[in-house]
Amino acid sequence: MPRADRPQMASSVLTIENLRKEFVRGLLRKRTVAVDGISFEVEAGEVFGFLGPNGAGKTTTMKMLMGLILPTSGAVSILGAPVGDLAAKRRIGYLPENPYFYDYLTATEFLHMVGSLYGLDRSLRARRAGELLERVGLSMAKNRSMRSYSKGMLQRVGLAQALMGDPELVVLDEPMSGLDPIGRREVRELMLELRERGKTVFFSTHILADANMLCDRVGIIVKGTLRDVGQLGELLSPKVHRVDVLWTGPESLREQLRKDFAGGLDEGAAEAAEDAEAERHRSRSEGEHFVAHSQGEVDRFLAAVVAGGGAVVQVTPQRETLEELFVRDAGVKAEEQRS
Amino acid sequence: MEVIVGSVERMWAIALNTFREAVRNKVLAILVLFAVALMAFSLVLGQLSLHEEIRIIKDLGLAGISIFGVIIALFLGVNLLSKELDRKTVYAIIPKPLHRWEFLLGKYLGMVVTMTALVALMSLVLMAFLAVQGGRHGVTMVRAEILIWLELLLLMAVAMLFSSFSSPWLSAMMAAGLWVIGRNSAELEAFAGSPKLEDSFGGDLLGFILEVVPDFRMFYVSGANFDEAVVSVHESFVSWGYVASAGAYCLAYAAFAWRWRSSPSPRDFT
Ligand SMILES: Nc1ncnc2c1ncn2[C@@H]1O[C@H](COP(=O)(O)OP(=O)(O)OP(=O)(O)O)[C@@H](O)[C@H]1O
Ligand SMILES: [Mg+2]
Repeated sequence: MPRADRPQMASSVLTIENLRKEFVRGLLRKRTVAVDGISFEVEAGEVFGFLGPNGAGKTTTMKMLMGLILPTSGAVSILGAPVGDLAAKRRIGYLPENPYFYDYLTATEFLHMVGSLYGLDRSLRARRAGELLERVGLSMAKNRSMRSYSKGMLQRVGLAQALMGDPELVVLDEPMSGLDPIGRREVRELMLELRERGKTVFFSTHILADANMLCDRVGIIVKGTLRDVGQLGELLSPKVHRVDVLWTGPESLREQLRKDFAGGLDEGAAEAAEDAEAERHRSRSEGEHFVAHSQGEVDRFLAAVVAGGGAVVQVTPQRETLEELFVRDAGVKAEEQRS
Repeated sequence: MEVIVGSVERMWAIALNTFREAVRNKVLAILVLFAVALMAFSLVLGQLSLHEEIRIIKDLGLAGISIFGVIIALFLGVNLLSKELDRKTVYAIIPKPLHRWEFLLGKYLGMVVTMTALVALMSLVLMAFLAVQGGRHGVTMVRAEILIWLELLLLMAVAMLFSSFSSPWLSAMMAAGLWVIGRNSAELEAFAGSPKLEDSFGGDLLGFILEVVPDFRMFYVSGANFDEAVVSVHESFVSWGYVASAGAYCLAYAAFAWRWRSSPSPRDFT
């Protein structure tokens, strides 16, 4: 979605217009629309997160950008050139999804090969390979054949090979997948470091926390269509849209309050309640939970608790999280999303 | 000029990788061992025959290089490309700054380097066995080995061509079939031209197939023919132009098939 507030400058590193991909499968020539006419831009120097649930079309889009598959229709311009342009490719680094590399090579040999493809001379290749393997925490295994590598180690080699040509644009397909918590943090730091050095990072993920911490802007793709593009702050509504109350009290009060505040839609709460969970009251080990949808309701509920001889443990105002935005856009329940 | 140097360097990087893959492959090592074992067996056979030791070693040795060479050529040609697709190692390579045809040619170049090394190795072993028996390797033998080598290079290109659009087993069978037809093209040609088949659909089809199939007979070394005399069945040693053009055709077709594979089709490049 082109945004009117920012001028369309030449600073766009990646421009995608109406990109579409239909897969044709089997003898019956059944069609799957993997990417259904998406358009957006990634600007120079930003970290752009490409978010979407499994099967949304993230990998397919990235493969089209990398020339691995041909789009059914639409236009792409990367670094001002069409897909496959050699000069542009020299300035791009790419990490494929679930990377797998030549398992008979050592990581060092592989990075040397990649360096040659980028046209680096031997000494530069050796230096950069050493530095990058150190950076991704593989220096202890660098002279072992990659056959013996674990999934996370392959992912790390993948990051190193993507950076071998010191690219201006880094395209990473799920860079954190398969990594342990420390590895994830290292990758986040790596991506922020890239941005600091003026590089552009375009990465896909379905882990919202990662996007939350890293992205200048995100694009949300669901079932092949782009639902939202923009700064996270813009996409997330800033106002408090519900308040969680944790309280304790006798059984009788519980029943009383369940009746008094049963799904009753206050004025102003109607809109918010639409996508809220049906259950406003929940019993947990730590006490009773109640979800209020307006300030007035909170006040009345608290008063009722105190009047009935209960005790308020905690009152937490909730802003919309990225997860909720994602779920709202995806039209899927949050529980199904978590993996 | 710089453009060409860059291109050659990239192809060489791919070729070196392919060579490493082949050399570090156990199946290949076993095949080479078998070829050597066959040559060793010829020493024993030579002992059994009267005054024919040298000829038997030469015959069996060349046959060993040829037979195992064909198996290795099919193995390499069919495997090295399709493995890249199956294991998805291409995903990391195609987006790198190189052309697709450079990748393909680099792969082939790597196979050529591998095959050259293997034929040279087997020839050296044969030479050693001959020396043990007091025989001479000689120019004729070298010529015979060069013919075998060229045939193998062409067969590899054919195998690679098939593997760029079909499964390894099928490709190997098709390439092997083509090789058999190519080796017997003279007989088949005579058959197609025979009164029985003349002007029939079958005859035309056979004629067409013979037009398309590379003429592997060009490289045929018959055992009787190389006693310090003619190596090739032709007067000239070998038709280099033919080898070059046949190889180029195969690679061009492979490049085309490769392109097709990456287009929106059932065999999408995914
Ligand atoms: N080669 C293919 N043939 C047919 N359909 C395909 C092919 N590749 C992908 N698809 C389909 O395209 C859709 C998008 O897949 P894609 O891999 O792009 O999803 P994704 O967003 O990367 O998901 P994930 O988060 O699981 O990686 C899916 O419905 C998938 O089944
Ligand atoms: Mg994916």
